[in-house]
Amino acid sequence: MNYDCIIIGGGLSGLTCGIYCAGHGLKTAVLSYGMNSLHFSSGSIDLFGYTPRKKIIRDPFEHIKKTTRSNPDHPYSKTGVRAVQEGVSFLKEELGKAGLKLYNNGTENHFHITGLGTMKPSYFSQESVYNEHLQEAFLGKPNIRVLNFEGFRDYYEELTLDQLKKNPLVDASNISTGRIRLPVYGNTEKNPHEFRSIDLARIFDTEKYLPRIADEIKKAAGDAEIVSLPAFIGIDNYNHIHRRLQEMTGLFIYEVPTLPPSILGMRIDNALRDRFAALGGVLSDGDRVSGGDVYNGILENVKTELYSNTEHRARHFVLATGSFLSGGLRSAHDLLDEPVFGLRIKASRKRNRWYSDSFFHEKSHPFLEFGVETNSNLNPFDKNGTVIKNLWCTGSILSGYNPIRESSGGGVAVCTGYYAAKKIVSDFERKRKK
Amino acid sequence: MITHETDVIIIGGGATGAGTVRDLAMRGVRTFLIEKDDIAYGTTGRNHGLLHSGARYAVKDLESARECISENIILKKIARHCIEDTGGLFVTLPEDDPAYHSMLLEGCGFAGIRAREISTRKARELEPNLNSSILSAIHVPDGTIDPFRLAASNILDAQERGAEVRTHTRVTDIIVRGGSVAGVRCVTKDGNIFEVHAPVIINAAGVWSQEICRLAGIELMMFPSKGSMLIIDYRINNIVVNRSRLPADGDIIVPGDTVSLIGTTSKQISSSDIDSVVVDDDEIDVLLENGEKLIPNLSRTRALRAYCGVRPLVAVSGETEGRDISRGIVLIDHLDRDGLDGLFTIAGGKLMTYRLMAEMTADLVCKRLNIKKKCRTHKVPLPGSERKISQKRSVRKFTGIPASVVGSTLYRHGLRVQNILTRDRKNYRLICECEMVTEGEIEYAIKNLNVRDIVDLRRRTRVGMGPCQGELCAYRSAGLFQEFRPESTVSPVMLLRDFLEERWKGIKPVLWGDTLRESEFTYWIYQGLFGLGDIDFPDRESEDKEG
Repeated sequence: MNYDCIIIGGGLSGLTCGIYCAGHGLKTAVLSYGMNSLHFSSGSIDLFGYTPRKKIIRDPFEHIKKTTRSNPDHPYSKTGVRAVQEGVSFLKEELGKAGLKLYNNGTENHFHITGLGTMKPSYFSQESVYNEHLQEAFLGKPNIRVLNFEGFRDYYEELTLDQLKKNPLVDASNISTGRIRLPVYGNTEKNPHEFRSIDLARIFDTEKYLPRIADEIKKAAGDAEIVSLPAFIGIDNYNHIHRRLQEMTGLFIYEVPTLPPSILGMRIDNALRDRFAALGGVLSDGDRVSGGDVYNGILENVKTELYSNTEHRARHFVLATGSFLSGGLRSAHDLLDEPVFGLRIKASRKRNRWYSDSFFHEKSHPFLEFGVETNSNLNPFDKNGTVIKNLWCTGSILSGYNPIRESSGGGVAVCTGYYAAKKIVSDFERKRKK
Repeated sequence: MITHETDVIIIGGGATGAGTVRDLAMRGVRTFLIEKDDIAYGTTGRNHGLLHSGARYAVKDLESARECISENIILKKIARHCIEDTGGLFVTLPEDDPAYHSMLLEGCGFAGIRAREISTRKARELEPNLNSSILSAIHVPDGTIDPFRLAASNILDAQERGAEVRTHTRVTDIIVRGGSVAGVRCVTKDGNIFEVHAPVIINAAGVWSQEICRLAGIELMMFPSKGSMLIIDYRINNIVVNRSRLPADGDIIVPGDTVSLIGTTSKQISSSDIDSVVVDDDEIDVLLENGEKLIPNLSRTRALRAYCGVRPLVAVSGETEGRDISRGIVLIDHLDRDGLDGLFTIAGGKLMTYRLMAEMTADLVCKRLNIKKKCRTHKVPLPGSERKISQKRSVRKFTGIPASVVGSTLYRHGLRVQNILTRDRKNYRLICECEMVTEGEIEYAIKNLNVRDIVDLRRRTRVGMGPCQGELCAYRSAGLFQEFRPESTVSPVMLLRDFLEERWKGIKPVLWGDTLRESEFTYWIYQGLFGLGDIDFPDRESEDKEG
C-alpha cells in the first residue's frame, strides 16, 4: 500500500492532520486502533486554561506567546503562536462544514459549567454548551434550573448544584434542581435505570419523542428561564433538536458534559471522520501499527499486527497515538517506552518520581508530562539519537507539557497536528514542483 | 453537652472491639462502642484475610496453632458468609529446606490440624497456576475471611441487640474519679462533644492502645511492626498457597473475592509512625519476586494496589527487644497492673482469634460487674449466616434479577440478601460494575451499616475495589449519598474527593502498566472533566490544620 502520508492514530490530532493533508490533495491514510480520547472528553477544546501557578488565563494566545519565550520544550513553543491561531480557525471551519458549530469568545477564554458545577476555562465550546445568547441571559439575574432524567445513573443534578450555588461567577437569583421523566422507549431488554448517555442521546435523535420531552422540560423548569440538561441532546441531529427544544419550551437550554461516553466528544469525532472521508482520506480502524523500517533517518514503511506481511509505505508519517491511556506510551514495573518505534522519550527513570503524593496535588503528576522528545520541528529521535526526518509526533504523545493541569490537551492536539500537516504539505508541494 | 449512661464502654471498632460489643450485647450488658474512624479501619482491614488453619504456626508456636484451628472451626459455622472454605497448600520449592515439610506435618499433628501430604501432581490439579517445579505439597484447612464483613456483622448484631455504636468519634479524655474510671469524653468528626459514663472501659484500640492508656495516665509499651501486601487484579489462585518454610517475606498468596493477594513483609517501626506508614518500593520488589516463585504468571498480571498494616504487639512486662514480644493475646486488668479500677486493655493476638479475645475480655468484665451470663458467640451465627442458603435457590427466588447480581449480593451479605434486593428495576441496577454492587445494596449499607462516607461504603460493599478503582462508581456513589442521606450536612463532592484520595494511597506504589493507564483516565475525568481538585472545602482546611 502506497500513500503520500500515513497518520498513525485517529484521535483529535491525527484526524486534524489528516483533514489538512487530504484537503491539499495528498493521498492520506489514518491507521487507528480503539476508541480515541474524545469519547472521554468534555467536548470543549481548551487552548491554555491555567498558568503553572494555577491562575486562570484570559487570553490564551498571549499566554502561548509568553510560553514560547520561557519554555522552549513546550509543544506550543515548537509550533509557534501563528500555527496555533491558524490551527484553531482551521478546526472551526472544518467542523462547521460538517455541521458542528463551535463558540469562541473572540481571542479570549470563556467558562463552561462542568458536571460538578465548577467552571472550566475553554477556548471552544459547542454552541449547545455555551453561546452569546446564553452569555447574555446569564447577565440578567436569571432563575436557573439544573435538570436530570429520573433514575439516570451517570449524572446527579444535586452534585452540580452543590458547587454552582457557591460560584461567584454565576449571578443567578435562584438555582434549583428538577427531574424529567423519560418517555417509554420501546420495550427494552436493558434495564432503563442502567442506560448510558448514548442510550438517552438516541432517544433524542429519534425526533418522535420531542414534543413529550419538551413538555416534561417545561413542567420541570418551573419559573426558570435557563435550564441545563446532561449533554445528551442527540449524536447526529443535535443542532436541529437543540433549536427545536428551545423553541418548543421557550427556554434557554444548555448542555452539561457528563461521565463517559461523552456525547459532546462523539459529535466532534464523527464530524472529523466525516470531513476526512469527504476529502477522500482512507481510514483504517481496528488494526494496531506494530513497527516500521527506518533507514538513514527515514521511515520507509509501517506494518500492522493483523496484516504483518503488508508494508504500508509513504513519504511522510505522523505518530499521534496518544499517551499511556491510548497506548502511545507504555510502562511496566521497571520500564517506560514508546512501543511502535522505540523512540527516545523524556521521563524520570525512578518510579517514585512518576507521581505526586496526593491525587489532586496542585502540581498534578509528573507522568502526565512524559512523552516523546522531538526537535523543534516535532521530529523524534530513534534509540541512537538520530532524527527521523519524515516522521512527526503530534498530540499527547509529546513531552514537555501537562495537558490537564494547563488545560491545553485539545489545543496541543489540534495545533501540533495542524503544524505537522502544513510541513508535510509544503514539503510535498516542493517535491512535486521539482 | 449530651451525656450517655451505660455499663461498658469499648474503645475501638476493629475485629476485637466488634467481637466484644457483640459478646456483651448477647449477655445483656449495656455497651457503648466508640471508633475514631470506621469499623475495621485499622489492622483488622489491613491484613491478608487468611482464615488460618494454624499450620503457619505449627512448627514454632503450638499454642497459636491450637487457638487458630479451634477458631477456624467455629468461624466456619458462625460467619459462613464472610468465609470461603478454599483449603490451603504448603509447597516446597527447590531452594527451600526439605526438612520443613516433615516438621510441619508433625507440628500439625500435635496441634490437631488436619494436614495431609499430597502428590505434587495432585497439588497442580488443585491449583493449576502453581509453580511446576515444587518438590512436595501438604493440604491444610486454610480458607479466606473478609475482615470488613466480619467486623461489620458483629457490629450489626450488637446494634440489633441494643448496643450503641458511634464511628468517626474520637475519645479525647478518660474520666477518672478516685482510682476508678468513670467514663470518657468524645468528639465527633463534626466537632460535637459528648460524654459517656460507665464503670468499665475496654481499650480495644489496637495499634492505638498506647495512646488510649496514656489518656488514663498509664504507660503501655507497644512494638508496632509493619506488614505490606500487594493485590493482584485477578483471582489467579483458588486455593491459599503457602511456602513451606519458616515465616518470611512474600510467602503466601491468598485469593479473596475477585482478587488475589501476596503477603507479607515485616518491618519494625517506631510508635510515632503508626499513622503515617507507607509501602516502600523495595517491599513491592520483594513481594513480586517471591510471589512469582509460587505462581509464575503473577509477574504478568496487573498489580492493582499495595497497602500496609501495623501489627499491635504489646510488651507484657518490660521487654525491650522486638523479637521477645509475644504475638499471643494480651489481656490486662489495669487494677492489678497499675492500680486503676475499671480499665482493661485487650491487645496482641490476630484476626483469627478476635472472638476468643472478645470472650476472654467479656468474661473478665462480667466477673467484675457480677454478671453471671455465659458466652454464646461460638454458637450463635452472625447476621447473614443464620443458615446456609444455596445460590441456586436465591436466584430462583429473585427471578428476573441477573444471577450474577444475586450471587454477589448473597456472597457479601448472606441471608440478608432478603433485606437488600427487590424486583424494582431501580433497586438492582448496578452502580459499581466491577464488583456488581447495586443501588439497593448501597441504600441498605448507608441506612443500616454505620456508613458515613464513601470510604466506609467501600468497606461494606466493595464499591470501587475492582479493576477500575472507582472510576464511575465513585461519582455515582456520591450522588446516591445525597439521595439516601439528605439530612447530612457534609458535601458529597468532598466525600468524592476524599474517596479518590484514599484510593490513590494504594494505587501509587504500583503505578505502572494498566494501573497507570487507569489512573490517567481517572485523573482525566475527575480533574480534566470535573475540576474536582480546584474546589476548596473551607471546613476541611481547618480540620486538617487541627488534626
